[in-house]
Amino acid sequence: MRTTHLSPRWSAKCAPESEGQVKGRSLLVAGVSTGIILIAGIFFVALNLVMQQGARPAPGSPAPDFTLKLYPGYRAGLPEEIRLSDLRGNVVVINFWASWCVECHKEAQALENVHRAYKDRGVVVLGIDYLDTEAPALAYLKQYDVTYPNGIDLQQRIAKAYRITGVPETFFIDRDGIVREVVVAPLTEAQLRAKIEALIED
Amino acid sequence: MMTSAIRACIGLLLVTWLIAGWAQAQVPAPDEPTYRIAKQLNCPTCAGRNLADCPTETCAQWKAEIKAQLDAGKSAEEVLAYFQDRFGPTVLQEPPKSGITAPLWAAPVGAAVVFLAIAGLVMWRTAQRGAPSPASDGTDAHDPFVAALEREVRAGE
Repeated sequence: MRTTHLSPRWSAKCAPESEGQVKGRSLLVAGVSTGIILIAGIFFVALNLVMQQGARPAPGSPAPDFTLKLYPGYRAGLPEEIRLSDLRGNVVVINFWASWCVECHKEAQALENVHRAYKDRGVVVLGIDYLDTEAPALAYLKQYDVTYPNGIDLQQRIAKAYRITGVPETFFIDRDGIVREVVVAPLTEAQLRAKIEALIED
Repeated sequence: MMTSAIRACIGLLLVTWLIAGWAQAQVPAPDEPTYRIAKQLNCPTCAGRNLADCPTETCAQWKAEIKAQLDAGKSAEEVLAYFQDRFGPTVLQEPPKSGITAPLWAAPVGAAVVFLAIAGLVMWRTAQRGAPSPASDGTDAHDPFVAALEREVRAGE
């Protein structure tokens, strides 16, 4: 009986794939394609979310414009809905706060005091309520006898435009609508007065 | 030996399950309708945490708001719409099926369609390959591998 051995090159190069191998390879291709589609979808959503956020306005850059719906009783003579650009010519102190924010409570009285001291000198203190429900927010404003204009940041649009990382955060904007300083901490009355005085004298 | 180890493991699992059940029973039952709605919302300040299970002050306020609105006669849909309108779609546990989040919903469906199409094509081609050939002995006369094999066998004789 004669035994014939095939040369290795045949078995290595020309042997057809078995049915199992073909199925395995094709399932791999299907799996990879599926993965690519899923990753592309997630990437698209992530990219959109990042693009929506934009960059944080650094000192020296124009303050992003926005409209703010003010709480009834907290309009300080302004219309129900105000636009930041309408306040051009004033020094504007934008303060992001929330009633559940412990640090915000520490500076609430100081903000009200500087509002009363500077409201007739071309300074607008503007409170932007962040991620707050209405009843506790109004209770907070009443607790500190707040009279400076305050409104809710609907859908977090302003917070996203200013890319805040939490509350409290305060932006100091000069008469030309340029961000001059950002403070990511509660402020004392002395600090607020010093920063506002510097912008008034500028 | 093995059997006693398995028994011990099952026993341990049962005890753990009973303790967990007892511990859960000690937690005061949340107001059910409020809890059901809170389960559909995210905590606004803790990334990835459910509003219903979050103990922060923010979440306590939001849950109180849900309860107040339900007590005022609003439906669950109206309450959820209020939160979405006020705080944006990111507060929802399930992102809306429109806008920029649409691909999140469409991608798995598209991926499933592609997967099924490729898998179907593969099965069809495999079935085609497996069909009996016209050769009388059951081998494919045109298969290059068979031809090469035959040549080598002949050369060896």
